[in-house]
Amino acid sequence: MTDSDKWLLRLYTAGQSPRSLVALENLRRICDEHLAGRYRIEVVDLLKNPRLAKDDQIVAIPTLVRQLPPPLRKIIGDLSDTERALVGLQLRKAKP
Amino acid sequence: MSEPRIDLLEAEELRKAIVGGEVDAFVVGRAEGNQKVLLLANAYQRYRQMVEAMQQGAVTISLEGHILYANQRFSDLLGIALSRLYTAPLQSYVGIADRARLSRFLAGGRRGDQLEIAFSSRDGTTVPTRLSIASYDGYASLLVTDLRPLEWARLAIEALDSIRNSVEQLNAQVRAEPPAKQALDSISEQINGLAQLIDALHAEPGRIDPRIDPNG
Repeated sequence: MTDSDKWLLRLYTAGQSPRSLVALENLRRICDEHLAGRYRIEVVDLLKNPRLAKDDQIVAIPTLVRQLPPPLRKIIGDLSDTERALVGLQLRKAKP
Repeated sequence: MSEPRIDLLEAEELRKAIVGGEVDAFVVGRAEGNQKVLLLANAYQRYRQMVEAMQQGAVTISLEGHILYANQRFSDLLGIALSRLYTAPLQSYVGIADRARLSRFLAGGRRGDQLEIAFSSRDGTTVPTRLSIASYDGYASLLVTDLRPLEWARLAIEALDSIRNSVEQLNAQVRAEPPAKQALDSISEQINGLAQLIDALHAEPGRIDPRIDPNG
């Protein structure tokens, strides 16, 4: 796997809040189905360290940030709308 | 894509997520080092259920030392209904001699600090506990660990030592004057007492009667 194939996805959560848990579960499922073997997930718990919200200018939780490949993309919410998540990650083109 | 266009898309994304109920927390405070996470009320539910179910007591007190929150376990430890605990001074449940010590501990207010102190339950039983400060931001959230199971374990070990001594005595007596019936009776009583204690510990470690005498 080359560096250009790697996906680095950072999920901002708030401890065990219900939406955070759902987001993590949905993210893992999406990655297994669409990025198998070429992704890494970083979970940033903002309850433990709220200052980290500044790095990616996080406003609402959960929020997923695609760090790699560029460009940086941000998807707000628990990723339960798979279509919206895939479009947000640019794994699928938006329907016209 | 231009910056204003990105901001607009993100604002729309945020709106959709909020309307769809897909977020349950927000980051507020934009100043450096001042960010905080605000959880929507339902996001606390999991924590609340954990706190209510755990075997340790949990209590949050105000600056003046009044109980603002307590879990069911703390209520059980004291044998006092939750509805009566709220707003009561925490100090009123420790002995007079310990009140100054508790005050100093709370005034120190450092997360992780611990203090061993006894509470008085409604039926007059003394409940030795270890208090730990879980968080302190003006309000102090305390974890309360019941130390009686440790005491019961110590009693059980003492009882076992006692039995071992008795067996040694019996051996000596049997050698000197068989059949040594009196020593046998004594051992039998002690074994029964120990069995009673162990049964109680197995049944419900947090709630056995500490007055059970392992020596029968």
